[in-house]
Amino acid sequence: MKLLKLAAAAAIASTLAAPAAFADKLDDVINNGVLRCAVVLDFPPIGYRDANNEPAGFDVEYCNDMAAALDVDAEVIPVTWAERLPAIVTNRADVVFGGTSDSLERAKTVGFSIPYAIYFAQAVVGKDSGITSFEDMKGKRVAAAVGTVPEQEWLKIAAEWGEENLYQGYQSENEVFLAVAQGKADAGITTNTAVKPITDQYETVVAGPRMPWTTDYTSVAGPRKDVTWLNYINLFITHQVRSGRYEELWQKYVGDTAPELRIPGVLY
Amino acid sequence: MNQSISFFSGFGPKDLWFLPQAAWQTLVISALSISTGTLLGILFGWILSESKIIGAVTLGLVLDAFRSVPLIIQLVLFYNLFNVIGLAINPFWAGVIILAVYTSALVANVARGGIEAVGAPMRRASRSLGMNYLQTIRHIVWPIGLRAVFPSWVGVALGVLKDSALVSVLGHPELLKVARDLITRTQQPLLVLAVAGAFYFALSYPISRYAAHLERKWQS
Amino acid sequence: MNFDYTFHWRPVMRKLPDLLEASLTTLQISVLSMIIGITFGLILAILRMNGPKPLAWIATGWVELARNTPALFQLFFFSFGLGAFGLHLTPYFIVLAGLTFNNAGYLAENFRGGFQAVPETQMRAARSLGMTAWQSYTRIVIPQVFRIVYHPMTNQLVWAVLMSSLAMIVGFRELAGETQALAFKTFRIFEYFAVTALIYYVMVKVILGLSRLIAWRMFRY
Repeated sequence: MKLLKLAAAAAIASTLAAPAAFADKLDDVINNGVLRCAVVLDFPPIGYRDANNEPAGFDVEYCNDMAAALDVDAEVIPVTWAERLPAIVTNRADVVFGGTSDSLERAKTVGFSIPYAIYFAQAVVGKDSGITSFEDMKGKRVAAAVGTVPEQEWLKIAAEWGEENLYQGYQSENEVFLAVAQGKADAGITTNTAVKPITDQYETVVAGPRMPWTTDYTSVAGPRKDVTWLNYINLFITHQVRSGRYEELWQKYVGDTAPELRIPGVLY
Repeated sequence: MNQSISFFSGFGPKDLWFLPQAAWQTLVISALSISTGTLLGILFGWILSESKIIGAVTLGLVLDAFRSVPLIIQLVLFYNLFNVIGLAINPFWAGVIILAVYTSALVANVARGGIEAVGAPMRRASRSLGMNYLQTIRHIVWPIGLRAVFPSWVGVALGVLKDSALVSVLGHPELLKVARDLITRTQQPLLVLAVAGAFYFALSYPISRYAAHLERKWQS
Repeated sequence: MNFDYTFHWRPVMRKLPDLLEASLTTLQISVLSMIIGITFGLILAILRMNGPKPLAWIATGWVELARNTPALFQLFFFSFGLGAFGLHLTPYFIVLAGLTFNNAGYLAENFRGGFQAVPETQMRAARSLGMTAWQSYTRIVIPQVFRIVYHPMTNQLVWAVLMSSLAMIVGFRELAGETQALAFKTFRIFEYFAVTALIYYVMVKVILGLSRLIAWRMFRY
């Protein structure tokens, strides 16, 4: 009899313990009461520091919105381009809002949501560099941030032209801009949204040509194996669009009409 | 476009205050890692000198590896390893731990040199004076060995002080990282580099002069 | 959070030829920076010991700056610091200049110690045997100095190889830079850097082994 009681107690205990053992990221975040967002603050106007050195921008607002939807606090973890995905692998952050291109290589390491913002790559060029079209960039010193998709795409083109030695990789996009402003590089490859704030800031830097490679679909990144969490993020992204918040924030920070997030001819 | 949003700022008095704060971070990282690294290194050095072959093929090989791989690679490698195995550790402590282990590998060599500088005859002499092992270490090996290798130890410590700049790759706002951020934000590379360089120089130069002075004094 | 990471080693092994090729670049730039560094180091040492005052001051400034600031700081100076003067080096020359500046500073002190260790009487003895100043320098003093500084010089070469890894911060693709670029495609950082650490280890061991062999061939009488 005693044994039976013990067995029953054990059974109850195990059923109570079991759900905790299967807690996914969504449960963790809700129970921890905080959403840790890795945000790249080197990416104006999507992520930057305002005059008080506080994080601000489109991505920061998205982090706040998602935390509000989950009814938890938002914690912004500033990361560089190179750190944003390791932040997920290493569990320092729950999500990355960092203009992350959803490349198939990176998807081997982290999980991606549906696209939440769309960019295209554009150059900023030195005023006296004489670059007006993409072809003009032949034979010029071109800079980009290390570990970014623009870097990898440019190096493919540079290899075709036999000009890999003219490429310069920098640790942050801000260093790329400084390099162009100083004249260390003739052109720096960045994102269309950053062009206006940069050219406003530096007298010697002007907007350059658009890069020929495809549109940059960027996703929110999360742990690769946490599919339920990625589902929640997907739903959050569609809600941001449906509620008009996406349009509102894009206009506030970028200024134009927000681009259509749908990929033509693909169902997802 | 909302024109009130500004992304950059010029160089202001507030920014000048960031640099001393960052220099303090550099000092804290260095002090923590040099002190723990030195204690560990002396222990390792003692083990190496006492257990000749077993020590050399186990501990000796491991410590040698830390001296033969660039510190920046070690920092990236172990920082990622800590996180991969689920040790959520911030860049500051990761940097301190890795620097401390690196320091201990360098100090172990120095310490072993110091212990071996005190020759076997002298140690035997002290034993025959009736000192026991610990007394020999305390009164003979330590003071003589220390004199022999103190300048090398200062060299190691100064090296680690400068190498702490590499913790910037982990993203901790020490002197060099803050300097880089300020350079891109304020576009004043020369001013910022000069101030940051002056801080490093002010930390390192007096110690290196003092060590050179001691070395001369002890040699004569 | 418990261990939830599966290592991907195979992709790294497929990139091994790229890494090995990049390690040749590492060796090339390190050796080159040593050769130029030795030349400058000798000049700096001689200027500090018996050059005219202003030149001796410049030499002292160089040596103390190289020895008392981080190498990474020196690389930044050659990148954005010189950029402020409108002087733009390519990533290759930033690394080469930075390494050379640092090597020369450390080697100058080694050389100075070496020169001071050779007693002045040797020079006088050589002169009294009828050698010219140049002959006594090159045949009597320099060989002895070389013997004294040989060991510190090999150490400096090892340092140069290790230090060249800082190139990844200024975007030059030697071994560390190439590793960074490859690792950032898939962000399998641990795997790539582990293999690279091993390559550095082997490189350092080979250099030390060779230097011992050369020392054994040269210095036995």
